[in-house]
Amino acid sequence: MVFGMIKLFNVYKNFGPKNPAIVDLSLNIEKGEFVFITGPSGAGKTTLLKIIFCSERPTSGNALVNGININRIKEKQLAFLRRKIGVVFQDFKLLPNRTVFNNVSLCLEISGVQYPIIRKKVHQTLRQLGLSKKERYYPPQLSGGEQQRVAIARAIINNPSILLADEPTGNLDPEITIEIMALLEEIHQRGTTVLVATHSQELLKDTEKKIVTLNKGRIVK
Amino acid sequence: MKTSFIKYFFRQALTNISDNRTAHLLGVGTIAIAFLIFNSFILAYVNINHWADEMGKSLTMTIYFKGQPQEIEVEELKSELINIQGVTINKFVSKEEAIRSLAKELGDKEGFLKGLNENPLPASLEIVFLKADREDPLPYNIKKRLEKMDIVDEVHYSEEWAGKIEAIMGAIKLIGSVLGGLLFLATLFIITNTIKLTVFARENEIEILRLVGATNVFIKAPFLIEGSIQGLLGGLLALIMLLAGYVTVMIRADFKIGFASLDIVFISPHIAVFLLLMSMIIGLLGSSIALGRFFKA
Ligand SMILES: Nc1ncnc2c1ncn2[C@@H]1O[C@H](COP(=O)(O)OP(=O)(O)OP(=O)(O)O)[C@@H](O)[C@H]1O
Ligand SMILES: [Mg+2]
Repeated sequence: MVFGMIKLFNVYKNFGPKNPAIVDLSLNIEKGEFVFITGPSGAGKTTLLKIIFCSERPTSGNALVNGININRIKEKQLAFLRRKIGVVFQDFKLLPNRTVFNNVSLCLEISGVQYPIIRKKVHQTLRQLGLSKKERYYPPQLSGGEQQRVAIARAIINNPSILLADEPTGNLDPEITIEIMALLEEIHQRGTTVLVATHSQELLKDTEKKIVTLNKGRIVK
Repeated sequence: MKTSFIKYFFRQALTNISDNRTAHLLGVGTIAIAFLIFNSFILAYVNINHWADEMGKSLTMTIYFKGQPQEIEVEELKSELINIQGVTINKFVSKEEAIRSLAKELGDKEGFLKGLNENPLPASLEIVFLKADREDPLPYNIKKRLEKMDIVDEVHYSEEWAGKIEAIMGAIKLIGSVLGGLLFLATLFIITNTIKLTVFARENEIEILRLVGATNVFIKAPFLIEGSIQGLLGGLLALIMLLAGYVTVMIRADFKIGFASLDIVFISPHIAVFLLLMSMIIGLLGSSIALGRFFKA
């Protein structure tokens, strides 16, 4: 395994014959890079992340994630690959009937981590994201920004080698946006490969990071 | 497997059950009734088998005489029989002795006998074949020979009963298997549907578990445990109802009258454990069917 590395070779993804989401996309992201994926709504940002995360299969083309060919991945291997990839979903995908604590602890429970360690790690991560007081809340009782931070907490709790964040600042005011970006930067500093999909030009204004711009499923810049 | 997994699985299974308790309650009740019907057959079979065993231990033959036989005739017969190997004489019961022991058995209902003009009970001689087995033609040959005698009216021996009992057992086995098969399918259907309800209610959760990297085994295990618990509870409830029924019958009825003192036994602990295990396996099977359909999609 080559942790943190993502390579795409001529990837296509069609949702139906007249609905191409990704067109002939090749991309090389090295371990430890920080990359913004940008482009207008419907450009294919989310679809690209889904392919990397194997929740969508490419219609054609190949991709290597952490050195694994995602076209030939098996069920168990897929589960283990996903534990190495943290994802902040555009729609969060939190469980409404589980507390903040349990939403985050889930990612450790599936790996069989012992409860005392789970408790310590979850407390620590929630504190880092300023959610200590909301531990016993259920997601519907939280604001959009708080839910987003829970989603980030869940994505980073496993120390993933890759972090995919789909519009991680979409619901946040400028102040928290800066905080979240600083947090992503911190995770990046630890050696994690970070991909952030955003259509916010504000976020990209002064950045020195690599920017991949998509339009109608193609890389335009 | 790690203990933290097992804890998680059981906690999750119990959460599923409590979130879906109406369906589970109905399911367990229905399963219990299905198992009760099946278990009743098992109980009947076990008892008849037990009776057949009791009878098979030694073969008793009763010779009924016409009218009141002369003492000399009885003694002659006795000495003839005693010379046959493996035969011992148990006792001679005269007509008077027969009616006296019946009166004693009837107790306060003795009055019934007062209306009779004439003693209807025959005198009899009971003999025992010590090492009788079912293949041995001797009892049958002796029966044939005795029946030709003038003083003898009828000859009965327990082996004949055993034959009849075997036929009854065969019938119970057949009906029990057919019914058992049907009840098995019904139970499986109930469990499959209950678990399907839980799985559908947790569709969102299953998707998220997959996305964060849970293996299929991890996702499925709580549902399999949930189904097994449902089956087990149904089986347990059925056994408890059967035991309650057994105890009630034992208290109410006295089986010593009429039918030669037959005791009714409850199913052995081995069979009980087997039945519980079976109910659990049906639960496991039902839930894996429910998951199979879901996981294919
Ligand atoms: N499951 C799907 N079925 C059909 N079409 C889909 C599906 N998912 C995405 N698409 C289509 O693929 C295209 C790209 O969608 P995608 O979600 O990747 O865009 P995006 O860049 O993330 O947009 P946004 O900024 O609005 O999130 C869109 O035209 C969309 O309609
Ligand atoms: Mg999107």
